[in-house]
Amino acid sequence: MESIDLEINAGETVAIVGASGSGKTTLLGILAGLDLPTSGRVYLVGEELTALDEEQRARVRGEQVGFVFQTFQLLRSLTALENVMLPGELRGDGDAQPEALRVLDKVGLGARTGHYPTQLSGGEQQRVAIARAFASRPNVLFADEPTGNLDTATGQRIIDLLFELNAEYATTLVLVTHDDRLASRCERVVEIVAGRITS
Amino acid sequence: MSIKLVLRLAWRDWRGGELGLLLVALMLAVGTVTAVSLFVDRLHQALIDESADFLAADRRISGSRPIPDEFRLAASAKGVEHADTMSFPSMVFVGDDNSQLVSVKAVGAGYPLRGVLKIADEPFAPGVPTSDIPAPGEVWLDARLFPALGIRPGDSIEVGVAPLKVAKVLTSEPDRGGSMYDLGPRLLMRLDDVPATQVVQPGSRIAYRLLLRGAESDLESLKAELPLAPNYRWQGIRESSPSIGSALARAESFLLLGGLLGVLLAGVAVALSAHRYALRHYDHVGILKTLGATPNQILSGYLMLLLAVGSAAVVLGLTGGAALHLGIVALLQSLIPVDLPMPSARPFLLGAATGLICAVAFALPPLLHLKNVSPMRVIRRDLGAAPPSQYLSYGAAVAGSVGLLIWYSGSASLTAWTILGTVVVLLVFGALAMLLLRGGRAVGMQAGSGWRLALAGLQRRRRENVAQILIFGLAIMLLLILVLLRSSLLDEWQGQVPEDAPNHFVLNIVPHEVDELATMLDDFTGSHGGLFPMIRGRIVAANGVDADAWERDHQPVDAPGPRLQSERNLTWAADLPDDNQVVKGRWWSPDEARALVSLEDEYAQSLGLDVGDRLRFDIAGRFVEVEVASLRRLDWESMRPNFFIIFAPQVLSDFPATYMTSFHLERDEKPFLNRFLARFPTVTVIEVDAIIAQVQSIILRVTQAVELVLALVVASGCLVLVASIQASRDGRMSELALVRTLGGSRRLIAGSLVAEFAALGLFAGTVAVVGAEATVAILQSQVFELPVRLHPWLWLLGPVIGSVLILIVGTLGTRGLISTPPVMVLRGLD
Repeated sequence: MESIDLEINAGETVAIVGASGSGKTTLLGILAGLDLPTSGRVYLVGEELTALDEEQRARVRGEQVGFVFQTFQLLRSLTALENVMLPGELRGDGDAQPEALRVLDKVGLGARTGHYPTQLSGGEQQRVAIARAFASRPNVLFADEPTGNLDTATGQRIIDLLFELNAEYATTLVLVTHDDRLASRCERVVEIVAGRITS
Repeated sequence: MSIKLVLRLAWRDWRGGELGLLLVALMLAVGTVTAVSLFVDRLHQALIDESADFLAADRRISGSRPIPDEFRLAASAKGVEHADTMSFPSMVFVGDDNSQLVSVKAVGAGYPLRGVLKIADEPFAPGVPTSDIPAPGEVWLDARLFPALGIRPGDSIEVGVAPLKVAKVLTSEPDRGGSMYDLGPRLLMRLDDVPATQVVQPGSRIAYRLLLRGAESDLESLKAELPLAPNYRWQGIRESSPSIGSALARAESFLLLGGLLGVLLAGVAVALSAHRYALRHYDHVGILKTLGATPNQILSGYLMLLLAVGSAAVVLGLTGGAALHLGIVALLQSLIPVDLPMPSARPFLLGAATGLICAVAFALPPLLHLKNVSPMRVIRRDLGAAPPSQYLSYGAAVAGSVGLLIWYSGSASLTAWTILGTVVVLLVFGALAMLLLRGGRAVGMQAGSGWRLALAGLQRRRRENVAQILIFGLAIMLLLILVLLRSSLLDEWQGQVPEDAPNHFVLNIVPHEVDELATMLDDFTGSHGGLFPMIRGRIVAANGVDADAWERDHQPVDAPGPRLQSERNLTWAADLPDDNQVVKGRWWSPDEARALVSLEDEYAQSLGLDVGDRLRFDIAGRFVEVEVASLRRLDWESMRPNFFIIFAPQVLSDFPATYMTSFHLERDEKPFLNRFLARFPTVTVIEVDAIIAQVQSIILRVTQAVELVLALVVASGCLVLVASIQASRDGRMSELALVRTLGGSRRLIAGSLVAEFAALGLFAGTVAVVGAEATVAILQSQVFELPVRLHPWLWLLGPVIGSVLILIVGTLGTRGLISTPPVMVLRGLD
């Protein structure tokens, strides 16, 4: 990455687009504090991520950030409900279950809370992932190709759900996508070519 | 992470089945170690107890002067039981005509402290155990003495000036085997009757013994405390009976080696399953980190998890190990006709410590690794953990192994040799495995598609496969080593006491009886062990130095082995006896006129004597000066008449001597002894068949223990194979799925798997043979002191065993791979 200067405001929805290998996933990782740039500074909700160690960054992620991934990234050994409860449990919340059940209900999986990921379809798995992301009421939601592994119809329903919840929770949304329909739903589109922002 | 969350995650993990392998591997490590060491501990204890019967005590103090009272007081103060005995030769008389040389043993209350006395009412009747000693004024006699003296039980005999009543027939005493040349048939009497006999005079040759029985630690501290030097010797089973001592020592070495190899194999299995567990948790950790788990939370979480799994494995392993050992004991109850004592706490401690050390040394490093997994892994799968800590992983495993080995074996030299062997073998194996893989690939290019796929696969995953060949090779090597050592040790043990070994010794044969006696023995038993003249004498000076001073200068006071000044049986011979081998100097010609003597090699070495030294003997009051002409090596365990000191024939030809010989008699031929003794009433027959039977029973038990340990080590070896195949399962699964997606038939895949495991087994078997031969050669020469031998049959057997074993375990372990639809595997690859 080179000469990246990007500011995203609270409540904004931003799509990062670009060809394969252009660096958009790397940028997402750096913005979310999953990775560090070799030089430069990154701020997230007032915290300078680049000045924090991995321990502190993990804490910031736990408190401020939610994620939705292309490959869902659910823990296979946990049920849908247990997956959604996990961020709250990691933070040490007393009882994460009521909120997890509420969000699962909201994404339409109220009847499938006891199912394991392998017993759910791709669309259902992604809905569990979205429920997990919102259950911790994050300030910023990062999504990496959230419809990349889904068929068109399912992908459309997931996009609708994502933006619906985003509006309800007033979350800042940063997503990386190849999908023009998805990018067009965002307020701003940032295009990357060979590691540089071109628009 | 809170402990509650960790446990919930662990429980969910357990449901996922992944933690199970680690738990099972740890549990089996603990269980195997516990079962092996429990059994070894109890059997060892039983063997020691049984061997202690040979001493009639746990330890004894011997001397040619009365045992001072302070020894008894010190023993009592430590809670060590003690009993006195006194042995000396004496003549007994019946009336004026009949007399016989006997070996008197006078015993005090409490004798024997170990083992039992057996007595009978009639001569040659079977004995029954008794806990008594002769009553005051009474003696018990060897059956032999009744025909020799022409008496019956109830008659009276004279020992010295005291008349004593013959009350019972003594049929067996536990410490009879302690010294085979404790000449003459036995007369057992009370210690407090000795003064009345007046046979003990200044200058009498008497062996005083204080028998001791107590806890190991008390005995050792007593030994350290007593002023034994220079007049008293401390004796345990090893010092007093070399043949039992060396059988025990070898058995211990072998059992330890077996246990030690079991521990190593278990460690490898734990490391493999922990590695696989960690590998499968990279994604898990990546996800947890994106959800806000900090590295410290990850670390503490996995530490707690390991602690929980380790504790569960220890509890389950200890229970399982104890149950397994009870099963073994129950199974072999009929084969082990000895009461096993209660186990000490050591096996349980050993099992628990093994579990925790295995967890820390083998399982912890790959888990520690997990905290370094980058959260970016959730969007970039190629990111594993930051490359790190290989030194930590291997260092911990090596340190853990070494620590366990030293602690477990308690033998630095055994540990050092094992480690040296392992390091050399790993280096050689690594190089050999690389060569085999390369060669295999070249050959594979010419082969059918199944083999090509297999050999290309082996070559492609070269690093993993070199590691697998090392592990398989090591496991097979350990098994081969055990098989080799076991057979050579057993051969040697069994060979120690040949079937037709002489089991009776005849002493006190006067010269004019020699020919007739030899004919009678030859006629009945077919042969005899040669006739040796025998005369008692002792060394009084060496190279002009008084023997007392020489002994002080050349022999440490507490050194085991014979003393220079002791009275010994001397013999002379024109020809070198069978089984003897001259190692230095040369044997004399039959007409040698010089005054020469030949000494047993170890005897000479322990006394600082060599060829060319001059010795002065006191033989029946006359002094004889001789030169050492040769040193001989001989087999003390052959049960044949053996002598430390042999003179050239001319030196002693004009001394009055008696003769001795030996012969073999089956149990049902015993009545011959009555006829024999009736014809030669003045000779003394010593029946050593009971001693031989005891030696053989100990050897039998040792053999059984060795076989059991071997079986348990084989089980550990198989566990390593299973864990190792499990560890490579994920990689294989994805590759085979790709091959099937590209159109490979099930047959092709099954064939390639079979070919791959067969080739892997072949390579591993080959390197195992190389390693086993080398290690066994070193162990045989350095630890077990056996001659080195190569085993050509092994070079065929090793590779075949390797192929078959790995083929079976491998195809069983990968059965699911062929039947899993490729689409499921490929979906899982995302």
